[in-house]
Amino acid sequence: MSGVGPVEPGEGTRPKDAPDREAPPLLVRPRGRLAGRYDRHRRAVLTAAAAAVLLAGGGYLYATRPQMPPPPAPPYPAQVVDMIYLNSGAAPESTPTRAFTFAVALRVQSGPPVTVTRITQPYAGLSVSSAPRPPFRTNAGSTRTIAITMHVTECGKVPEGAGLPFLDVTLRNTRAIQMQSFILGSRYAHDLSEALQAACSNRFR
Amino acid sequence: MNALPQQLVNGLLLGSMYGLVAIGYTMVYGIVQLINFAHGEIFMTGAFGALTVYVYILPNGTSMWVALPLMLIGAILVAVLVAVGAERFAYRPLRNAPRLAPLITAIGLSLALQQAVWAWYPDAKSARTFPQISGGPFHIGSVTIQTGDIFLLVAAPISMAVLGYFVMKTRTGRGMQATAQDPDTAKLMGVNTDRIIVIAFALGATFAAVGAVAYGLKYGQIDFRIGFILGLKAFTAAVLGGIGNIYGAMIGGVVLGIAETLATAYISNIPGMGKFGSQSWADVWAFVLLILVLLFRPQGLLGERVADRA
Amino acid sequence: MRQRSLIAITAALAAGALTLTACGSRSGDKGSSGSSGGTTVTIGVDAPLTGDLSAIGLGIKNSVDLAVNTANKQNYVKGVTFKIEALDDQAQPSSGQQNASKLVADNSVLGAVGPLNSSVAQSMQKVFDDAKLVEVSPANTNPALTQGTNWQKTKARPYKSYFRTATTDAIQGPFAAQYVYNTAKKKKVFVIDDKKTYGAGLAATFTEEFKKLGGQIVGTEHINPDTKDFSAVATEVKNSGAEAVYYGGEYPQSGPLSKQIKATGAKIPVVGGDGMYDPTYIKLAGSDSTGDLATSVGAPVDTLDSAKQFVANYKSAGYKEAYAAYGGYSYDSAWAIIEAVKKVVEDNGGKLPSDARAKVTAAVQNVSFDGVTGKVSFDEFGDATNKQLTVYAVQNGAWKPVQSGTYTG
Repeated sequence: MSGVGPVEPGEGTRPKDAPDREAPPLLVRPRGRLAGRYDRHRRAVLTAAAAAVLLAGGGYLYATRPQMPPPPAPPYPAQVVDMIYLNSGAAPESTPTRAFTFAVALRVQSGPPVTVTRITQPYAGLSVSSAPRPPFRTNAGSTRTIAITMHVTECGKVPEGAGLPFLDVTLRNTRAIQMQSFILGSRYAHDLSEALQAACSNRFR
Repeated sequence: MNALPQQLVNGLLLGSMYGLVAIGYTMVYGIVQLINFAHGEIFMTGAFGALTVYVYILPNGTSMWVALPLMLIGAILVAVLVAVGAERFAYRPLRNAPRLAPLITAIGLSLALQQAVWAWYPDAKSARTFPQISGGPFHIGSVTIQTGDIFLLVAAPISMAVLGYFVMKTRTGRGMQATAQDPDTAKLMGVNTDRIIVIAFALGATFAAVGAVAYGLKYGQIDFRIGFILGLKAFTAAVLGGIGNIYGAMIGGVVLGIAETLATAYISNIPGMGKFGSQSWADVWAFVLLILVLLFRPQGLLGERVADRA
Repeated sequence: MRQRSLIAITAALAAGALTLTACGSRSGDKGSSGSSGGTTVTIGVDAPLTGDLSAIGLGIKNSVDLAVNTANKQNYVKGVTFKIEALDDQAQPSSGQQNASKLVADNSVLGAVGPLNSSVAQSMQKVFDDAKLVEVSPANTNPALTQGTNWQKTKARPYKSYFRTATTDAIQGPFAAQYVYNTAKKKKVFVIDDKKTYGAGLAATFTEEFKKLGGQIVGTEHINPDTKDFSAVATEVKNSGAEAVYYGGEYPQSGPLSKQIKATGAKIPVVGGDGMYDPTYIKLAGSDSTGDLATSVGAPVDTLDSAKQFVANYKSAGYKEAYAAYGGYSYDSAWAIIEAVKKVVEDNGGKLPSDARAKVTAAVQNVSFDGVTGKVSFDEFGDATNKQLTVYAVQNGAWKPVQSGTYTG
């Protein structure tokens, strides 16, 4: 066997149902043209064949790879960011009276770095600023403490109290930009209500 | 804005539906003294019959004006078939059995019909949407009436008139009256009581089917359980109006519907009654009314017209 | 006089009939099970598989089935084959309790997923707890189930064997209130509930927060979930001048309710909780439901890669019914039990210990894995630590996410 032609042609693949003794000419005949060319380009043909096998094998492995696609797309930013309320820090000296500062910890669990592009809050009569000022980037695995200051702009519109106030944070990573509301829990709600009451009862002083 | 006229119309619509179904209870009871508890399910199969005509038989996008009569025919066909089948195979063999036997059979039949629709009707495991008549609601003064409710408002009185004529004026109708008064004597007088009973079941089913189409048009959805609660309410309406009396069924239905609606809307406005005024209490008030009526008129509102047989 | 007594008997039978249908048709559905020898562990499923809520219930059952099949296919716990035993509670507490007893009596059951309804959960918790059999609910949102009836003041966990992957109403109701007041700018709301544990609880937490924010409740109403005629209530809503309706309850009622409210000419949105977040709602409420809102637990499916994977697997498994609102949570609930069984078996040298139920319950408390809905683990009350919520709005006949929140209390 020289490796040319089918080793055992399937039924019906031969022009006629040739008996075995006609086999030698079948093998010999190509020596004229096809095998001659093969002899001349042996290296190239072998390389091409090896490449084809490699490709086919790789393709097969790729096609039947277990479930997950090879480069998993990075997760959506909201799915990897935790934000935890730390404490209501004493307002820095420079802060105007009708303001309230607190610290939150922002942690990125995994994936590409996440950029905070905007921090807002939904209540009327309040505005928010933060240090560091957005946009800022946080790498996976690291935690960043953010000081957030709420400014009371109009006491009349400020809610009397809120059970579950939240911060709206716009997050961006290579996958998407998302606005996520972080509900910081009852401790934050309590501190916020107290601070708001204090700020707004001060307005006549 | 005064909501009373609107609430009265709401109650009238709900009550007309109860009334249409109650006729079936009252007719069957009047003639064979059987509370056909499967009647609510006959109503339900009627609704699915109408749906089948619209969804599986008519071509897509048929105008409702063409489809509605055909759906009505489909609903009546299915309901009558189920009712007559029930009479023939479930109740007739028990005609001379103790009264409780057919009653329990009726409850069994009711469950069987529910489960059959649940199991075999395509996608009936959750509610199926019912075709709607397009066109905006109509406003009469402060009252809004939905397009789908027009059918009920028209169909209920017409059905009552036709039924009244049938029972009072036709030969078969008089045969029914005779059978109701005394089946044995009626038989002796040449009335085919078996036929009369089948006709009573079929007529009841026809009205239930009309009610079922109205239900679908009004609420826009049907499911396999719609017959159960409605059946109980209709039975209550029949008792309230005086069971055995066809006009009583309609009146009882309307009274019950209006009572429920007004209880929902107004009881909570009575000082100190805020707790008892929501819709979840409406049934309680409806039954309080039933008890009061039965205390003072044990035969129901219009009950005296049927001779009391004991 | 025979007639009178007949009517009396009839009335008694009518009452009987009510109870009969309440516990009629129970289908003991034997889920698929691989039989590769070794121990067979059964995961019980309790959900409404028939009736109004069956769309959601069947989604729960199928998702648990998918989890079990996945574990079996991967041979996830060596020497253990999982199967499911799905029981129908018809959303009735009494049926739920019977099912719980039935599962407890079966020694191969090491955990149960379900139920859907908080009211049903209340009747099952004790039965499971007495047997130290772990119960993980994918859908219960009533805070009292994990934090005790007095949860607003002092939190105390009533049953050590009860866990849930869903977020509670203590967060969901206020979250909806914040959205309605701050984002949708509706200041006058009419609150309706169905008086059930879930609906009434949700309406109460919404009302409290909405009032705190400065909003006005212009009316309250409790509907009867057995009826479909809400015209009287709808008329009340219209005349109250409300800018929105909050409904505490489930879609079989809120769909028709929304439709009938819109029909009165009051073009105001109906807002609800996760019990309303189902495609069936839109079908029932009709085309006028555009703009209606529902909060639901979890992040939107298309922002979660694990959820997309779940959706694809669910589809290829060829289940007849949709996975519905709690599919992902059901899968995660089942997987939490599977993880716990794996831990218990591995700690015991590859075999199930004799007190497997208690050990599995203890192990569920400490599970932590990346599930369909994100990271799955439980806090000291048995609540999910991953608390995400999303507000969905009806747009073009489908629920579209409009705002998402994460609770990090």
